[in-house]
Amino acid sequence: MIEEGKMSRRILTVDDSPSMRMLLRAALTEQGFTVFEAEDGVDALEKLEAATPDLVITDINMPRMDGFGLIEALRSGDVRAGLPILVLTTEASDEKKARARSAGATGWIVKPFDREKLGAAIRRVLH
Amino acid sequence: MSVMSSIAPPQVKRLTVAQGDSLASSDPGVIFTTVLGSCVAVCLFDGSAGVGGMNHFLLAEPAPIANEDTRLLNRYGVHSMELLINEMLKRGAIRRNLKARIYGGATMRQGLGDIGNNNIQFARRFLTNESIAVLGEDVGGISARRVEFRPAAGLSRCKTVSTRPVERVIEISPPAVGDVELF
Repeated sequence: MIEEGKMSRRILTVDDSPSMRMLLRAALTEQGFTVFEAEDGVDALEKLEAATPDLVITDINMPRMDGFGLIEALRSGDVRAGLPILVLTTEASDEKKARARSAGATGWIVKPFDREKLGAAIRRVLH
Repeated sequence: MSVMSSIAPPQVKRLTVAQGDSLASSDPGVIFTTVLGSCVAVCLFDGSAGVGGMNHFLLAEPAPIANEDTRLLNRYGVHSMELLINEMLKRGAIRRNLKARIYGGATMRQGLGDIGNNNIQFARRFLTNESIAVLGEDVGGISARRVEFRPAAGLSRCKTVSTRPVERVIEISPPAVGDVELF
C-alpha cells in the first residue's frame, strides 16, 4: 500500500526475462513502488541516471553483464555507492550468496518470490 | 581405438523428467522422458550449441492480478521456465537461438477446472514474451501423453497413452518460497 504523504519509492529491476520483469512490475506497483526496468547489468548502468532508483533488484544470470558485475560496478562508483541492492535469483548456492555479499549486495532472495515478503524486505531496507 | 568402438552408438541414458523438474543436456546418449496428463512439458533446443532441455509443470495458482500483461503469467511457471533456460545457458546454449515445443495440458477429469488449458496458455504466453519460437505442439484433448526428447539433437516424439499419471497441484504458498536474507 502507498503510505500517505510519502513519495513513491523508485525500484530498478534488472532481469533478462521479460516475463519476470512483468511479474515484478505487477507485484511492486501494487505495493505502491515506482518501477523501472533493465534487461541486464549494462542496461541497468545506462538507465541508472534517468531512473535515480532508491533500490535495485537484480538477477544473477544475465548476458553482457551479470548480477555480480552490476553489484561490483555500482559499488565501485562513488555517486550511488550506498544504493541498496537486493539479489533475486534462482541460484541457491552458499558460494554464490557469499560472493554477492562480499561484492556489496544488501540481501539475497531466492525465486520464486513471494510478493509480500519481497515488499516487506524492500520497506525494511528503505526504512 | 578400434573401428568398431569408434562407430559404436552412444550408450542410451533415459532420464525421467518428473513434475517440478527442469533438465538440460548436450549428451547425444541422453533421452528425456515424461508422462503428462494436465501437466505441460516444454522442450527447448539450441541447434547451434546442440543443447536441449525439458521441464514438467502443473500450475493451478489463480492469476494474481487480472490485467492483460500478467493475466496468464504464473510465478511458478515463470520459475520453472527460468530454471530450464538457466540449465541450458550453463551448457552453452544462447537465449536468442532457443526454439520450443509444447506438450500436454489434457483435461484428465471433471472438477479440475481448466487446469490443462491454463497450463498450455501459460506456456504459449511465456514463450511469446521471451521471443522464443514455438516449432510445434501436441496439447489439449483428454488423453495422457508420453513424450521422449533427445536434447542433443532436438528430436522429440509424443504419443497418447492410457496411463493416468499421478499429478499434484503445486501449493499456492509454500512457506519457504521467496525467503529473504538481508546481509
